[in-house]
Amino acid sequence: MRTRGWLIGALAAGTIAAAVLAAGPARSAPAGSAAPAGSAGLAGSRSAAGPRGARVKLPLPFDNSCHPEASLRPPAGAPRVTAGSDMARIRARGYLIAGVSESEYHQGFLNPLTGQIEGFDIDAVHQVAQAIFGDPGKVRFVSLTDAGRIPALRSGAVDIVAQSMTINCARLRQIDFSAVYFNDGQRVLVLKNSAVKGIADLSRQRVCATAGSTSVVDIKAANPAAIPVAVPYFTDCLVLLQQNQVAAVSTDGSILAGLAAQDPETQVVGPLFTIEPHGIGISQQNPDLVRFVNAVLARWIAGGGWAVSYDRWISAPAPAPPVAQYKD
Amino acid sequence: MATTARARPGLGITGSSGRAPAPLVRASTTPGKLRFLLAGLVVLCLLWGAVAALAAGQHASGAGAVVSTSEPLSLDGQRIYRSLSDADATAASAFLAGGLEPQAVRRRYLADIAQAATSLEAATTTAGHAAAQPDLATLSASLPVYTGEIETARADNRLGLPLGAAYLREASGLMRGTLLPAARGLYQQANVELAAQSSQATGLPFALVALLVAIAVGLVLFRAQRWLARRTHRVANAGLLLASVAGVVSVLWLVVALTVARVELGSARGHGSAPVEALAQADIAALQAHADESLTLIDNSGDDSFQADFAAVTKRLGPGPGTLLAAAASAASGSAGSAAATAAQSGAPAWYAAHRRLRALDDGGAHSQAVASATGSGPQDSGTRFRQLDSSLDRSIAADQAVFQSHAVSGRDATAGLEAGMIALALIMAAGCALGLRQRLAEYQ
Repeated sequence: MRTRGWLIGALAAGTIAAAVLAAGPARSAPAGSAAPAGSAGLAGSRSAAGPRGARVKLPLPFDNSCHPEASLRPPAGAPRVTAGSDMARIRARGYLIAGVSESEYHQGFLNPLTGQIEGFDIDAVHQVAQAIFGDPGKVRFVSLTDAGRIPALRSGAVDIVAQSMTINCARLRQIDFSAVYFNDGQRVLVLKNSAVKGIADLSRQRVCATAGSTSVVDIKAANPAAIPVAVPYFTDCLVLLQQNQVAAVSTDGSILAGLAAQDPETQVVGPLFTIEPHGIGISQQNPDLVRFVNAVLARWIAGGGWAVSYDRWISAPAPAPPVAQYKD
Repeated sequence: MATTARARPGLGITGSSGRAPAPLVRASTTPGKLRFLLAGLVVLCLLWGAVAALAAGQHASGAGAVVSTSEPLSLDGQRIYRSLSDADATAASAFLAGGLEPQAVRRRYLADIAQAATSLEAATTTAGHAAAQPDLATLSASLPVYTGEIETARADNRLGLPLGAAYLREASGLMRGTLLPAARGLYQQANVELAAQSSQATGLPFALVALLVAIAVGLVLFRAQRWLARRTHRVANAGLLLASVAGVVSVLWLVVALTVARVELGSARGHGSAPVEALAQADIAALQAHADESLTLIDNSGDDSFQADFAAVTKRLGPGPGTLLAAAASAASGSAGSAAATAAQSGAPAWYAAHRRLRALDDGGAHSQAVASATGSGPQDSGTRFRQLDSSLDRSIAADQAVFQSHAVSGRDATAGLEAGMIALALIMAAGCALGLRQRLAEYQ
């Protein structure tokens, strides 16, 4: 019923959007201080000129008050399944249960030609399964919405979540995270014929992201005049963009690149305006699994598998991998 | 003959006036009574004609509307719902298969869409009344949007893009949120019309009024003839006799025609549209549960809302006391579709058993085997078992629909020509009365 509900909602929202768009022409003067589209890293200034000269405050990109990137230190040496651990329980079950996305192209997506779930996040899951079972295929994938990730971990429905999940202090109060395995930041996807050059140009326009994501919160933080539209999956955002029901999609650059790869008439614009370190989500009940996964990630990165996967799915050549930080 | 003028000396009119003007109100004299009787009988005959024609017209138009409007509309509404719901489940299972969809699945989807479009066209032509228009407009406007989204999903799938799944969800949401409710609305609206027109065609008020008038006319005619026979010492008056015969014929015709129509339309309802309605309710529930089965397999989100819906819908479907299948079987009992309706009652548990095996496979991680069961055609597959249930219900609906059609047409034909016949016979009665009494009246002049 959830899927039906949002679809009806999206249709209704679309109708309203059409009415809103019809009521007044979209104002989207290019923002003077927006950085060029290709620039990586944070925009130098904390504010940018919005439409009609309004000052749009860019948010503090990253709440690091709790040192969110620091995870639990893995035991020295190769990952080991110790007796009585969470890993032993998973091994006894016969398969790892991983919450993933089926709709984030090149991160985690269901390939309709093969019926298989593939992507960079999925490679990380196979690494964990390989370490527990000696067989990367012993995984049961559960497709989650972004809003469903934390509840699935807290209820024990999944062992791990590998789904472009940003580590932050608010989430650390509910779940635990592995060390960082991917660095990303939020940008904007628009149609190629759009005059929008960045988040600052999207005042009083509808901007799409998924419900339960950091992106949908950060849109409002970066441009309080923008109107966030929340849907279950990012591919739903691309549908809305193609149907002209939203002016832009805003989320992590890697997800936007995956959307742009599905529609050559769209492009990613503007600077990164947030920092989004991705980690593998794990329940706070399972600290030994957190340490185990950190050992797996460290081996994956050190062994070069991480770079191979990055080259294949994200972009080649891979940048320097994230340096793991531990709090103990 | 007495003259009125002479009775009024004060007016100073001489006796030369001879014949007086015809007395208009002197009812105490025989000619006065005759004139009064003539006027009264003609008025009563014409009143009878009007009431009988009105009753015949009401019943005939009700029966005609049942056969030509509300019944086809109900049938079309049901076909639209069936084919759209099947298209939804079929599109989902085409996607389930992964890669290129099986040809049979694609053909089934295209046949569903063609059937929906054909029935929609037919319903739009049939529905002259405003009540069904909003639902028909919704269906006409949304069906091309739906098929467009399905084709976009298919194109994206062929490119290996996950965007296809989003278009499929969007299309399914449009189907379940907009198209299917409109089809259900159209069907329910048509059934309300069908019930109203049936009761107009079989209701008693007009027939009772007509019979009361007929009794009044008969009494007056009978007493008039008896009075005339005594007064004039003649046994029969040809004109009044003709009027009496015409009256008896018209009453018999009306009573026989309306009784036949009532019995036929009652059979059409009892052995036709009532079981069809109950069977269609069961079929709609089965189709919804089938779509839930496919969508549960696609929606790999760990959220069991489709499976919960499946459980709720199949609980309503039955079989078992108080369920839709039990209601359908009891409504269809003794009708042409009875055997197939009974088969549906045993087909449902067989499908549920196959569904439980499918769920066990899926829950045990054997997703592709579960998908194979949903889309497969082996005797143990859930897909096969569902199609058996669906075709049992479909066959019993078709059989009872045919029963309805033949009885309803007989009921309509029973009142053919009745209205015109009532008017003609009433005119003959009035003419007979007028001729018969004028003949007597002339003897006094």
